Amino acid sequence: MSPLVQGALTILLGVGGCVGYFYGSNLLLDKVLFPARGPNIARNINRANLIRPWLFLFPAIFAAGLYLAYPVVGSFIRSLYNRAGTDFVGLGNYTFLMGDDGFRTALFNNFLWLLFVPAAATGFGLLAAQLTDRLRWGNIAKSLIFMPMAISFVGASLIWKFVYANDADIGLINAIRAALGAESAVDVLQTPFWNNFFLMFILVWIQTGFAMVILSAALRGIPEETIEAAIIDGANPWQVFFRIKAPQIMGTIVVVWTTITLLTLKVFDIVYTMTGGNFGTEILPSYMMSFMFRDDGRATAVAFVIMILVLPVMIWNIQQSRKEMR
Amino acid sequence: MKNRYLATVAAVALCAGAAGAQDLKFPVGEGDFNWSSYESFADAHDYSGQEMSMTGPWTGLDKELVESVIAYFEAATGATVNYSGSESFEQDIVVSAQANSAPNIAIFPQPGLAADLAARGYLSALDDDTVSWIGENYAAGQSWIDLGTYNNADGAPETFGFFYKIDVKSLIWYVPEAFEEAGYDVPESLEDLKALTDQIVADGGTPWCIGLGSGAATGWPATDWVEDMMLRTQSPETYDAWVSNEIPFNDPAVVGAIEEYGHFARNDAYVKGGAASVANTDFRDSPGGLFTFPPECYMHKQASFIPTFFPEGTEVGEDVDFFYFPAYEGKDLGKPVLGAGTLFAITQDSDVTRGFIDFLKTPIAHEVWMAQSGFLTPFKGANSELYANDTLKALGEVLLNATTFRFDASDLMPGEIGADAFWKGMVAYTGGEDATSVADGIQGRWDSIK
Repeated sequence: MSPLVQGALTILLGVGGCVGYFYGSNLLLDKVLFPARGPNIARNINRANLIRPWLFLFPAIFAAGLYLAYPVVGSFIRSLYNRAGTDFVGLGNYTFLMGDDGFRTALFNNFLWLLFVPAAATGFGLLAAQLTDRLRWGNIAKSLIFMPMAISFVGASLIWKFVYANDADIGLINAIRAALGAESAVDVLQTPFWNNFFLMFILVWIQTGFAMVILSAALRGIPEETIEAAIIDGANPWQVFFRIKAPQIMGTIVVVWTTITLLTLKVFDIVYTMTGGNFGTEILPSYMMSFMFRDDGRATAVAFVIMILVLPVMIWNIQQSRKEMR
Repeated sequence: MKNRYLATVAAVALCAGAAGAQDLKFPVGEGDFNWSSYESFADAHDYSGQEMSMTGPWTGLDKELVESVIAYFEAATGATVNYSGSESFEQDIVVSAQANSAPNIAIFPQPGLAADLAARGYLSALDDDTVSWIGENYAAGQSWIDLGTYNNADGAPETFGFFYKIDVKSLIWYVPEAFEEAGYDVPESLEDLKALTDQIVADGGTPWCIGLGSGAATGWPATDWVEDMMLRTQSPETYDAWVSNEIPFNDPAVVGAIEEYGHFARNDAYVKGGAASVANTDFRDSPGGLFTFPPECYMHKQASFIPTFFPEGTEVGEDVDFFYFPAYEGKDLGKPVLGAGTLFAITQDSDVTRGFIDFLKTPIAHEVWMAQSGFLTPFKGANSELYANDTLKALGEVLLNATTFRFDASDLMPGEIGADAFWKGMVAYTGGEDATSVADGIQGRWDSIK
């Protein structure tokens, strides 16, 4: 069967199934269960109307339950069991994590990522959005900055591996050092503590484009009058930016910031491909990988810790984007 | 679409036709093959009309190669063998064993999984004749029996695995021309190797290229080093005890082996780029220094697969060669070889299946693959002149001269140790951490999973 026919058939089945479900279940409710006739007609209509919303909500609730709620509850339960999943160990996996040096390093590094990446990406994005706003070649600059968004994390890591290469003939950083007269090459990925920032910068490089696009749209949406009024009142460009523009797009900035924060908590590809968690660069998701498929109890415990970290940011993010919509 | 199918079918048919009706790679009776073993096997076994199934990790070219061997079994006995290769063999075999739909023979890429299935009662033991045959006819025979011996469902040890197709890891690669020019000889002992290392430094060169980088698997090349050092400083029994954690990871024996590796890798003068570059240099790039002029390094320790990553056009045996990673002369430990290999085990017993295991004991079952590519055997009865090229022959000789063979320890340890803690520990050690504290950390992890 040609893929085209297959695709068409899938669409037909999917859409037909949906329409069939809503139409059919509605019909069932109205004609068979609580028909709008006979002696109890008023009560039947009321009852049918009470049930109808649930009928329509059911597929969504079912899907969300199966794919969102069940995994969360399921992972939590799994995290209370031992390695093989046979014995209940209570919070044993969590106490193990608290006592583990690797976990504390990963947690600390993760906080560094959470502080640095969203701040830097949003900051650079805002800067790029503002600077390119009224330029003739601004769109070209913007597309260049946006381009890394199209690269996978692993692909980006491989590119940056060259930039960081421990060889002045390959690595950009070492080439610059050599040009400035440094004798030998350094391996920035092995420099304690700072190597984390070299890894974070890759994500900043990727995410700046995203922040820029959203913020640039928000900047365009600012009413011209407010800016004009400020200029007439004698505000200098800094004041216009920080006192007039920035406050008006604060909601968008927060949404961008929190979205990148959420992403940062999930990213493990960069650490995984660049250092494999060695040299003190472990973060929680890559730390989790070292348990996955081996000790699922501990792996799910780490996953749960990540989820608890994500939760407040997520709630804030949803609240902010709701506000934006209003 | 249909046309393409037809074309493929036609092409396959043509190829099949060209290869001869029986599909035998080498016509019976021609060449230096041990045809008498084939004839006598054929006379003794007749399974006409019977079928057996086999699954293994070999796909693509390897599948064709193993089928070319199977074809001789089929021609000799009249049986039909269905081989299917799977990329996810490790998962598939567990599922099919549990579902009682296991094939007759499973080909395991490493002993750990086979031991696991044996303990759950899914494997049938080899008969005593076969076991003693391995002991007599394989070089380092007892090692091969031990590697194939696991506890059965009742906890009693039995021999389940028949090793066939082996890879060798204890190799050091070098450029003969560079050695010649500088007047260096291939070292015959570990003492000589250390002396040569110092000699090269004294002559102003850099002896070694070592790279541990491998993305998420960074560190594994160092585990091979430590395993080889373990075999060269401790008895095979100690090595086995280390693998099974009967002696802890931080035992002085293991720490000593780690430090033997450090002797080479943690010396700035010994390694290209200095000790600091070892941990993060990609293992695929690291042999590159052998081929520069003047050489950036003279030696590189790596398994037999590494020529894939040599510069394009490099001829093994000509531009680059290898020698056996020698053992200490002063220690009476023979010639240990570290490696890996696949083993055949019976997952569903039948007459044909036993017949196939018997077939593996004939030289012809080894020679047919030897004469093609990528196959090494410790079987002393196979004609090593038949190896497809000199490189394979030399590798085969390393295997035949071995007095001890041990399987890659990191493949045998639990995944968290062998494929995580051991790697990361070696990276930390190479980066300057103390061997004892690294070993303590790995043992701590091991304790936590018991």
